[in-house]
Amino acid sequence: MKLKEYKKIVDKNSPKEDKIKNVLISFVVGGSLGALGELFVKFLEAKFYMPPSECYMYLMILLVVISSILTGLGIFDNIVTFGKCGFIIPTTGFAHSMTSAAMDNNKEGFIKGIGSNIFKLTGSIILFGLVSAFFLALLKGVIM
Amino acid sequence: MIYINAFILCGLICAIGQIVLENTNLTPGHLNSILVVCGAILSFFGIYEILLDWAGAGASVPITNFGHLLFKGAYEGYLEDGITGLLNGILSTSSGGLSVAIIVAFLVALVTKPKH
Repeated sequence: MKLKEYKKIVDKNSPKEDKIKNVLISFVVGGSLGALGELFVKFLEAKFYMPPSECYMYLMILLVVISSILTGLGIFDNIVTFGKCGFIIPTTGFAHSMTSAAMDNNKEGFIKGIGSNIFKLTGSIILFGLVSAFFLALLKGVIM
Repeated sequence: MIYINAFILCGLICAIGQIVLENTNLTPGHLNSILVVCGAILSFFGIYEILLDWAGAGASVPITNFGHLLFKGAYEGYLEDGITGLLNGILSTSSGGLSVAIIVAFLVALVTKPKH
């Protein structure tokens, strides 16, 4: 009984975030990132005559470098608070979690600090991506 | 026009992620892991190549592209050289971005001063 009343009070007083607004912000921010990326790819294609797959690699590298540096300067957390999933789901989020995991533990030294913590958050992404890609490729290769 | 396609696809993936985050207890870490596996599955059925042709960088910016690159490297390696090719190729196409991410993260962690 008491727990129920308490939950009621919590629900009433916890700030309600506007879900639709957040989804819209993510859509616009993520979409802009995609369109800007396309602009960068077109620029590389026109200027250096690269094949598309190489352009996409350099786009990924650009995003990773920018977001890592912004994380190091401490700006990226504010950007994520504003852009929500628009910055978490693109490659920027991947680089951000890797850099912040390494940064937060760098006072403990090279091995126990940076070395053992750098994959703390992104390890699951690499692990599940690698395992699923391995078995799916094996499956497709054996069947086809 | 490809810029609008890129805007729509990349925005749509981010919006779906935001909807999932709002309505479940999943953390961004869960979400990114799920999306990487989704990218590998889409690549398995050959859909991701179509998306890349349709939206260009719009399909290449989200983290799903990492799953696609892993699958693509593994499958192309298998076609070339069997199991050996699969094991050698699984990281080949994505190694550029991954290596740079690790190197830059290490350098930034070196340069920044420890907190507390």
